[in-house]
Amino acid sequence: MRIDTTHRPWLIASLVILGISAAMYMPYAMTTPGGPKGGSFLGLVFGIVGYAFMLFAGLLGARKKVPIWRIGRAKTWMRGHLWLGLLSLPMILFHGGFAWRGPLTAVLMALLFIVVISGLVGAVLQHYLPRLMTQRVPLETIYEEIPHVREQLREEADNLVTSVFGALDGANADVDTMVAVVPLVEIEQEEKEHFRELYIGTMRPFFANPEAPGAELREPQRSAEIFASLRRMLPSSIHTVITDLESICEEERQLNRQARMYRWLHGWLLVHVPLSIVLLVLGGVHAVMALRY
Amino acid sequence: MSGALIDLVIDGTPVSVPPGTTIFDAARITGIPIPTLCHQQNEVPVGVCRVCLVDAGGRVLSAACVRPAENGMKVSTNSDKVLNARHTLVELLMADHPSPCARQQQSGDCELETLARDEGIKQSRYAKRLSPRGQDNSSFVIAVDHEACILCDRCIRGCDEIKHNDVLARRGKGYQTGIAFDNNLPMGNSSCVSCGECMISCPTGALTNKNIVQTVIPGGEQVQVDDLLKLPYFEEISGTFLELNQNAVVTRHFKKGDIICREGEYGSTAFYIAEGRAQVFLSTPMAHVKTEGGAKGFFSRLTSILTGTPKHAADGVDAKRMIRIDAPVDLDFANPTAELGPGDLFGEMTCMSLYPRSATVRASTDCVMYEMLRNVLDIIQRNKTMRAKLDANYRKRALDDHLRTVPIFSSLNEDFIDELRNNVELVRFSKGDSICRQGEIADSFYLVRIGFVKVAEEHPGGELVLAYLGRGEYFGEMGLLSPGGRRTASCTALDHVELVRIQAEDFRHMMERFPEIRENLLQVAAEREEQNRMRLNRATSVPLDRFLDQGLMEAQSLLILDLDKCTRCDNCVKACADSHDGVTRLIREGLRFEHYLVPTSCRQCRDPLCMVGCPVGSIRRRNSLEIYIEDWCIGCGLCAKNCPYGNINMHPFTVNEPDPAAPGRQMAVVKQKATSCDLCMEHEEPSCVYACPHDAAHRVDPLKFFNLKPAVPGRQ
Repeated sequence: MRIDTTHRPWLIASLVILGISAAMYMPYAMTTPGGPKGGSFLGLVFGIVGYAFMLFAGLLGARKKVPIWRIGRAKTWMRGHLWLGLLSLPMILFHGGFAWRGPLTAVLMALLFIVVISGLVGAVLQHYLPRLMTQRVPLETIYEEIPHVREQLREEADNLVTSVFGALDGANADVDTMVAVVPLVEIEQEEKEHFRELYIGTMRPFFANPEAPGAELREPQRSAEIFASLRRMLPSSIHTVITDLESICEEERQLNRQARMYRWLHGWLLVHVPLSIVLLVLGGVHAVMALRY
Repeated sequence: MSGALIDLVIDGTPVSVPPGTTIFDAARITGIPIPTLCHQQNEVPVGVCRVCLVDAGGRVLSAACVRPAENGMKVSTNSDKVLNARHTLVELLMADHPSPCARQQQSGDCELETLARDEGIKQSRYAKRLSPRGQDNSSFVIAVDHEACILCDRCIRGCDEIKHNDVLARRGKGYQTGIAFDNNLPMGNSSCVSCGECMISCPTGALTNKNIVQTVIPGGEQVQVDDLLKLPYFEEISGTFLELNQNAVVTRHFKKGDIICREGEYGSTAFYIAEGRAQVFLSTPMAHVKTEGGAKGFFSRLTSILTGTPKHAADGVDAKRMIRIDAPVDLDFANPTAELGPGDLFGEMTCMSLYPRSATVRASTDCVMYEMLRNVLDIIQRNKTMRAKLDANYRKRALDDHLRTVPIFSSLNEDFIDELRNNVELVRFSKGDSICRQGEIADSFYLVRIGFVKVAEEHPGGELVLAYLGRGEYFGEMGLLSPGGRRTASCTALDHVELVRIQAEDFRHMMERFPEIRENLLQVAAEREEQNRMRLNRATSVPLDRFLDQGLMEAQSLLILDLDKCTRCDNCVKACADSHDGVTRLIREGLRFEHYLVPTSCRQCRDPLCMVGCPVGSIRRRNSLEIYIEDWCIGCGLCAKNCPYGNINMHPFTVNEPDPAAPGRQMAVVKQKATSCDLCMEHEEPSCVYACPHDAAHRVDPLKFFNLKPAVPGRQ
């Protein structure tokens, strides 16, 4: 989600709540003997409000499970999640008087920091990465479809090569033999061998595992050099095939980029979501224990 | 005229003939052959080809076919002068003749080419005609090659004098002279009844039979022409034509329970029931497309409560609606079954326009049917006598049902329908025919019986399509109800169309007698006018080139994803699936426009090509912009094929059907139904947009969203 001018009302509301809370907290903190405590009236108010904000933020996950329930637009929930979730941190700090106290509260406080920071990291990533992905991955596909698209690209490359150079000696057992007929153009045996070696040794491993570290074709610069040398070596009549292969490599690189960015876009949730659940559960335990005992 | 014979000498042979006999006939009686092209014994001679020139002793040579014999006349048919003149004439005719012509190729008996061969003409010394006259392939039965026409007028005389159809005449001047059907219409669109007389009369390949001898209707028994001509349904058809197309109609015997055709299948034939009865029904379940997953029980009920809609919002909509099929009956939505009997014809749309079969037909008793290809059906429908019979049959049996299934006419009473029965007219139009033009005096109201009609308004920037109307829909009321009484739009037949025409006078009479119908029609007319006005405003607010660009501007409601905001979480797709019983109508892939993605989701086009051809009319608009696929979709896939943007998906599902191999047992059969975005019309906002947490998904009017400048100053 982009944090843009449409967030202004939420920002203002959050600042107002924060300002009022701070205005209430400061005289209370300065005048209370022994410092502010969570069990005091105001401390409890801050604790309840902070936990309520956390609960609301946590309910976003549940809201997403029932996307067609007409209980408010998902974007409103998301904004509430962002701003109220962020506000829960100062509320809880006001609640605890900026102290970590016992082991449970210390754990809760640590969890809260991690959850809020991971959320902020996520918000930053989701603010910038979508635009970057749009710019840098013009051939974007659906993330779950990437393996299938790669399979198709691999087949397409094999078919292109066999249509010009003939069968790939076991390297293309699954190639569509309909196009692997007689080579279209006469190519010197030595050049043919060189190309075949390059295709089997460099391109196919890249197509088979495009994200493997060290693959020469992962680097655009190196890829351009390889294809430029191929163009110099091979007759111009098959340069269109070389260009197609280069395009396939470029698409593979874009898919790499997309997968990487997608993982960044959603990877932080692996930290944020489970810890949020733990935080909410332990927060509930803390509330019950504190109020009962 | 006295009865005394006339004596003359032809090539030295004395001949006596009655007065008024032509030289040609006198020579024929004597056994002296005179070649001719334009003359036939059963037609009035016109002497236009001049090939029958003879020397009758005058200053110039005479055309034997028109020159009457005179007493004492000495005629030479083979003098050098005559032979030279004939040779030159044939050579001149051959100069323009595409040799070998279609007839020469088909049967080797082109009279002109035979004559040229006899004259020893292999190549003409004269230059060809510079401007081509072209071909006309619009008829299903007869191919017209104007290039091969020698203007002998035999076809014209055959049509007018022998058959009295008066369809053919001459057109143009000079090199452009040719034969014309009606007011120079393509033959298929003219009032030609396809009797074949012109084709039989033609001496060259200008009018030839479209030979379909190679076409075989599988499973049928060939019928002898004589037997066929004894049947009431075929008795009026030209025997020559049937002989030329023996494989175009076959007899089919079906046993009780046999399936005659299945819904969704493609075919090219129509069936005429001669004996027995058949049941016509839809075997595809009347249901929403859904997957096995999704919320059930408590959550399903809770979802219904929270979304404010029943589980299947559309179940109750139009429950009384009739399903239009390609048969003389419509099917009731609640019980989509009907019976056909002797004299019924079904499969006309499949046969004439190659649409998929709209319903499954099963023999209820042992049946005998005639299965025919469209050239035969076309001829039957064009034949005046047969047309009158079919019209009478329609008036007697189907008009009542047809009128009553149109909601606004449901209140008509028996008396009035009986009155209408004698006044309505069934009219037919071929593909591309203009039914009425904008600005014309409105003289009729039309109900669509078969086919699809395009309704469009003419504007300086081009035409604006307002609607496609299929079986059961109607038009023409706006012109009749408007104060000026003029057509407000042009209507064109998109394929083979049959309309029920109610004349303006009868229409007005109906309005007077049934004020509630008038009220309903006025309301419909006002709604249509408002919709048309809105469409026009949108269409004229952008330049035409951008309007057409990528088809985006064709959209009335475009789903776009702002890729700068979209985190690719797919909540939109999940929401769509959850809203539609687990089957998503949205695929997050498609065109990119700037930083917007236009995913694969229905655009609710202004010109909804997907609606054209639906054999059961299940894809339609419900008085609003959204295109809705009704539950009676039979899964033929034509709409998906027609959608230029690939936004209609065919969703497979499994149903249990009786196993034909093992009676009493059920077998799983995979069927499919079309699915398309319905804009979640039961809600204010589509679920995909509502469920997007990142404010990336929007349903927009593309013109407003992309802030396009008005093309017509002052219009917004």
